[in-house]
Parts: sequence; structure tokens; C-alpha cells
Amino acid sequence: MLLRYTFFRVLMLIPVSIAISVVIFMIVHLLPGDPIDNLIRVGSSPDDRTALIAKYGLDQPLFVQYFRWIGAMFQGDFGEAIVLRRPVADLIAQNLPYSLQLGALAFLFSSIVGITLGTISATTRSAWVEQIVRGFILIGSTVPGFWLALLMILFFAVQLQWFPVSGAKGWQSLVLPVLTIGVGGVALVARVTRVALLDVRKEDFVTLLHAKGLPSRTILTGHLMPHAMLPVVTILALRIGWILGGAVTVEFVFGRPGLGSLLIRALGQRDYPVVQGCLLMLALAVMLGTLIGDVAQAAMDPRVREAKT
Amino acid sequence: MGYAIKSKLLSGTALIAAGFISTAAWSQEATIAFASGELGATSYNPVTSSNLNSATSLIYDRLVEQDADQSYHPHLATSWEEAADGMSWTFHLKDGVTFHDGTAFNAQSVADWIPDFAETENAYLVGAVASVEVIDDLTVKFVMSRPEPNFLYNLSSSFMGVPGAAAYDSLGENFGVTDAVGTGPFKLESFAIGLETVLVRNDDYAWASDLSENQGAAHLERVTFREIPDQSTAFLELKTGGLDVLLGVPTDFLQILKAESNINVIQMPGTGINYMPINVTAAPFDDIKVREATALAINQEAIVSSIYNGVGAPAHNFLISSLPEADVSPELNVSFDVEKANALLDEAGWVKSDGPVRMKDGEALSVKLFTQNGTEFTALAQVIQAQLADIGMEAVITVFDSSTIRDEYKANRHQLAVRGYDWNNSDILDWFFSGERLGYPNVSMWKDEEGQRLNDVAMKDSKNSMERVANFKAYHEYVLSQHLFVPIYEPTTNIAYNAERVNVPDPVRGTRFRAQTVLDMTVVK
Repeated sequence: MLLRYTFFRVLMLIPVSIAISVVIFMIVHLLPGDPIDNLIRVGSSPDDRTALIAKYGLDQPLFVQYFRWIGAMFQGDFGEAIVLRRPVADLIAQNLPYSLQLGALAFLFSSIVGITLGTISATTRSAWVEQIVRGFILIGSTVPGFWLALLMILFFAVQLQWFPVSGAKGWQSLVLPVLTIGVGGVALVARVTRVALLDVRKEDFVTLLHAKGLPSRTILTGHLMPHAMLPVVTILALRIGWILGGAVTVEFVFGRPGLGSLLIRALGQRDYPVVQGCLLMLALAVMLGTLIGDVAQAAMDPRVREAKT
Repeated sequence: MGYAIKSKLLSGTALIAAGFISTAAWSQEATIAFASGELGATSYNPVTSSNLNSATSLIYDRLVEQDADQSYHPHLATSWEEAADGMSWTFHLKDGVTFHDGTAFNAQSVADWIPDFAETENAYLVGAVASVEVIDDLTVKFVMSRPEPNFLYNLSSSFMGVPGAAAYDSLGENFGVTDAVGTGPFKLESFAIGLETVLVRNDDYAWASDLSENQGAAHLERVTFREIPDQSTAFLELKTGGLDVLLGVPTDFLQILKAESNINVIQMPGTGINYMPINVTAAPFDDIKVREATALAINQEAIVSSIYNGVGAPAHNFLISSLPEADVSPELNVSFDVEKANALLDEAGWVKSDGPVRMKDGEALSVKLFTQNGTEFTALAQVIQAQLADIGMEAVITVFDSSTIRDEYKANRHQLAVRGYDWNNSDILDWFFSGERLGYPNVSMWKDEEGQRLNDVAMKDSKNSMERVANFKAYHEYVLSQHLFVPIYEPTTNIAYNAERVNVPDPVRGTRFRAQTVLDMTVVK
């Protein structure tokens, strides 16, 4: 059953991807400005400019350009960057590992710390844990990433000198970016965990378990957590895509390569194939995140897979 | 490396790592951050790249170097002769020069290299070269299809660093990415696109140009170039010792940097001008009197002292002051004269009635002032807005991103704009004022018969460098007489370095921070 459900969900990705590719292509090409102005230099002639426009097919109607792009895409060809002059697949392959590393660590950090804080907060109902969670929620949901990043640098790298200011060398350089991106997730996950645990606790079967004399710890790990994790898993899965996208400004401030840095540079220069490639990767990450969330939910709860198939 | 020392306290493994980094810091090495304008290079292939950074000049040598005063100096070429009719150039090459892979540099290396430009987007650099003839092992002759009096300028550009022909052919697409072979003072060790480039000393180097004191191998054994896109982050890296040299410091950062005791700043003459183009097709600027009044309303000296704290120089014409073509008849230079500006507007029929804004036929003298995002340009636009208000002209500021603003120019929706260029050659006049490039780059939208004739003469009919200077000067003077723009500011290029870590020669020779300066750099013991 689970297999069939998964197959059905993967099949759904195809029309969604095609729709997304149209939207991405249109947005990118309707932006004011063009890549050729970022390519030509003083000394080249107006004819050189015309030749370049023709060379990159930018004189063709938009739908022709779209079908060329998507056609090549189906053969695994991301195209050639216009301004950056490299195959787009190479550029993405060079930058993606940095983003994945940062994203995966930020994801782990926000899951582990978030679930722990949420659980402590729900079970102990201690005032100071509550305050910490609230603090995280406040910072995580209101402070812009680039500003938090600068604060982190000023405090941990300039004042305390515990970590390097920027770069991507060694584990030290990962600490501050991971914290910056992870803080928002911690708040969200802690809140969802807490609410879910408190909800499940009110269920009749929990009262029964207590009545049967099971230790509180066993009830928590064996019975409360599996139920409460359902919404948490959904939220976490949705964050997979968000973390990659949210890293854009953080990568910039910390001077790290990555999909976000590549996207910002390419966008400024209107390097269409690169922008399209990066956006498609980010969209794919969001879609995969949702897929993983749905499948995990279906695996954990038989009602989900039966209702949806 | 302060953070490394502190991290010793954190864990045992970090102790070993920190120890390694600390000893490395004592050796002859330096970390340099690129200026923001040269970030994002994806290759060190000078022939095919559209974007090359400062590190390129350390890997490859050029035949000719250009100094800050725009004069040309021998490098891989020891001397040269330009034929009287401009139809050939002969270069005598330095003996004993070898590429990083051990192959010899000679006339054949040049003959093998020039044809590589064909079909690339850098082909215009050698567009006038018909063929390259090897006269003898160390003499090479460029046969031209037309005179190219700007040839030395092209040869001194980063794009004309000489690559090793054997490696160029065998590496193909990967040349400049996985490996790079030149004759320069440093060899490419590793290149992580968007992150850093590590170069190691070429111990055999003994052919520096006369722009360097040091004629042998570099003092530094290793140079790391880093890409840090955020200026605040780069400044903090310099302050905390993560960086030794920061290229291209924005002028508004200078005050903060000067407050740091360990940081020195070198100001090099810049290679560009900030200016305000005037759209001659958009009323009221179709009237030359209004254009001249606008030009006379701008107080360059006040701008330099108020926005730039006196750093850099006021600009009074379109070219940087070190170019001979900038030396125009004094009366054509544009200088602040608010009384004359007011008189011209009165003559043009724009009169002051009761309000602060001048009126003509019931219409107010209100114009659009465009600029692109970036603190420098927005601050400049605000000061210009205030100065224009003094002559009764209301300017409404709109800020665009750098790609969007070009579409505005092309659609002819602009009137005034604040912008800048970075180019140390008089052919910039053709770029911004040629009638064939209306909208962008010709933001002034100027198409004029006499202007085009003078442009053609300067661009195509100059036989040698002397003639070229005279022709471009004549074109420049005519452009100035038409009031197509307002010159504002000639910025400096600012380099900051940690004086407790490295010594950087001041003044920096050459038009930009390049190999000649790195050769003379030393580490403070």
C-alpha cells in the first residue's frame, strides 16, 4: 500500500515540475535587463552585441527559447551560462555540496534542539524552559537572517574570536551559519512539538496508560512521542526546501559559496540559464521535502495512505 | 588567526589544527580579498573569459605593462617598433623566460596564442591583427589589417596574459579551471570557484617588469585570494586578522578603517569617473542652455568634501586626469557657476515666480533623476538633487537595480542619471557617445553628424598613437561643448592592509593592484 501511495505521489511530481518550469522561465525572462549588457565590454562594436544575442538565441520568440531549454533539460543538459561561461550543471555541482552541508546541519540542529526543547517544555512545564522557547520563537520568526548573521559575527567572531568571520574552510566556519539558519527552525519545531504533546496527553488512551501504572517515561517515549511526531515530521519536511532557500542571504554574509550565492550573482547579471537552473533546484528541493513528508506521514499513519490512494 | 588560538581551548583535535595554522601564519604567505567588482570569475583562461580577477595577473605575464601614468613599460617584450603607416608591430622578446610547465617562451608561443582568440568574445582585442610572423626565436611581427594605435593598451590588459600553448591545447575546456600555465611569478595551486584561489611561488621567476623593485622570485611563498561578497564581512575579516589585504575598499569605509591602529590604507589614482548623463532628447534638456545650466549647477568640490571626505578628485571633463586626451582647452572644462546657470535658465525662458521651482508656459521645471542601488550613488543623487534645487530645478529621484536601469535607458524613459564608469582609455568616449549605441551605453541619447564624424576619425583613421591622442582630444572637446553630461567625481582605488602582517609598497605601481605589487610585498616578521 505504501509503495503504491509513494508511486502515485512521485507521478504527481511530473506535471507539477513542468508547471513550475514554465513559471520560472517566464519570471526570469520577463525581468527587466538582459545578460548581454553584462557580457560586452568597452571596445566591442554594436555588431558584436547583435552577434551575441543571436548566439545565445535571445532573438528567438520566448516559447521557442522555452522549448529549447526544457528539451535540453529532458536530456539532462542544463545549458551553458551566458555571463559566467561555464556549463550550468558544473556551476550547480560546484555549489550544491556547500548548500547541502549547511542545510543538512541546520536541519539537524533545528530538529534535535527543537524537539528536545519542545518535549522538555511540554513535560516539565517549567517557566524558564518556556522562556527559552519563547526567546527562540521571537528571534527565529522576527529577526532577518542577514542581520542575525552580522550579530553572530560581531559577537562570536570579532569579540570572542571563537570562530572565523567568514569562509568555508573547516568545521569552525560552519558553526555560525548553521546557528543563524537553524534558530528559526528550532523555534518552529519546539512550538509544534510542545502543542502536539500537550494535545496527545489529553487523549483517553493516555489516561488509561497512566491508570495501568506505566512509568511516565515509557508513556512519553513509547506512546506520546509517536503520536505527537506526525505534525512535527510534516513541518520538518516542509523546511527542507525552506532551509536551502533561506540560506541565500546567510551564504552571502558569511562569504560562502552555495546555490544561494550563485543565484544572487546570476540574478544580478541576468544570466538566464543559471538563474533557471538554481530556481529549478530550489523548487525541486521543496517538492522533495513535501514528498518525503507525505510518505513519512503515510508510513507512520495508515489512515493517511488509505485516505489518499 | 586569533580564532585559531582560542579554539585550542575547545578541543584536542582543534589544538593540532590550530597549531598547524599558527606556524603557517609565520611563513611567507598572505591572504588577499578581491574587490567586489571582480568577484565571480569562473575561469583563469584569459583568452575566453568575460571576467578576470587580480589573481590572473600573477599567473600570466603580458608582453607590455601599463603604469599609473598610462605609460607603457616592457615586460615579456623588451622593446617594440610600430610601422609609420601603422600596418605592422614588431616585438623583441625577453630571453630565458619559461612557462610553469618548463616549456620555453619565444616568438612561436606568441604565434600559437593569438589565433586562439578567433571566435571568442575577446576577439576584438586582436581584431586588427591579420597574421603573426615569427621573424626569429625572439622576434615576432604582427601584420595588421588596419592601423591599431591602441594596440599596446590591448596587450597590457589581463585578457592578454600569455598562456602556455602546450597546456592550452591539451587541457581544452579545463584550461584555467583545473590547471593554468603561464610565465607569471605564481602558479595556480587550487581554484574553488566562488570561494578562493591559492597560488604558490614560481621559484624560477627572474623576468619581472620595471614596475617591480624585486626582479627575482616573489618574497611571498603563497598567496590566497578570497571572495567575500559582503563589504562589512570583509572589513571584519581584515580587522580580526583573517585577511591581510582588502582590495577595492569603498570610500565610505575609509574613516572606519583609519580608526583601526593595525590597518593602513593606500589610495591609488582611480580608473574611472562618476558623472550625470543628460538625455538630450527629453525636454527640457533638448535645449542646450538648460543642459549647460544643469552642468554649471553641480558643485564638484563640495561633493568631494561632503560625501567623500576629501578623498579623490573633482572631475571636470569625461576622462580620468592621467589620460593625455583629458587635457582639453580650459574653457571647455565644466566647473560650478551658479550665477551663470541661473542666467542661462532665465534666457531659456524658465523663470522664477513665487515658488522655489522655475516655470515656463505654466509648466514646472521638474525632472527625473535616476540612479542605481548602492549607497554611494544614492548619497550622490541626494546631494545633486539639493544642488539642482538651488537653480530652481526640482529633481525626483528613482533608484533601480543595475540591470533594470538599462532597460529604462533603452526605453528612453530617463532624463538625468547618476552613474559611473571604470575604464582608463579614451575610447570610452565612443562607448558612451556613439550614435550607434543609443539608450545604453549612450545614455545621453546623443546622435549628431559632427560628433559621429569626429568619432569615426578617432576610432578608425588614427594611424599612430600621437594621431589617436589628437583625434580623441578633438572628439572629447566637441562632446564637452554639447553639454551631454555633468562630470562629478574621479574616485581613488583604495587598498587596505594589516600593517602588523604585511608590507605593501606605496605608491602601488601600474593601473591596478597586480603582480608587480605582489612581487614587492613582504611579511612583517
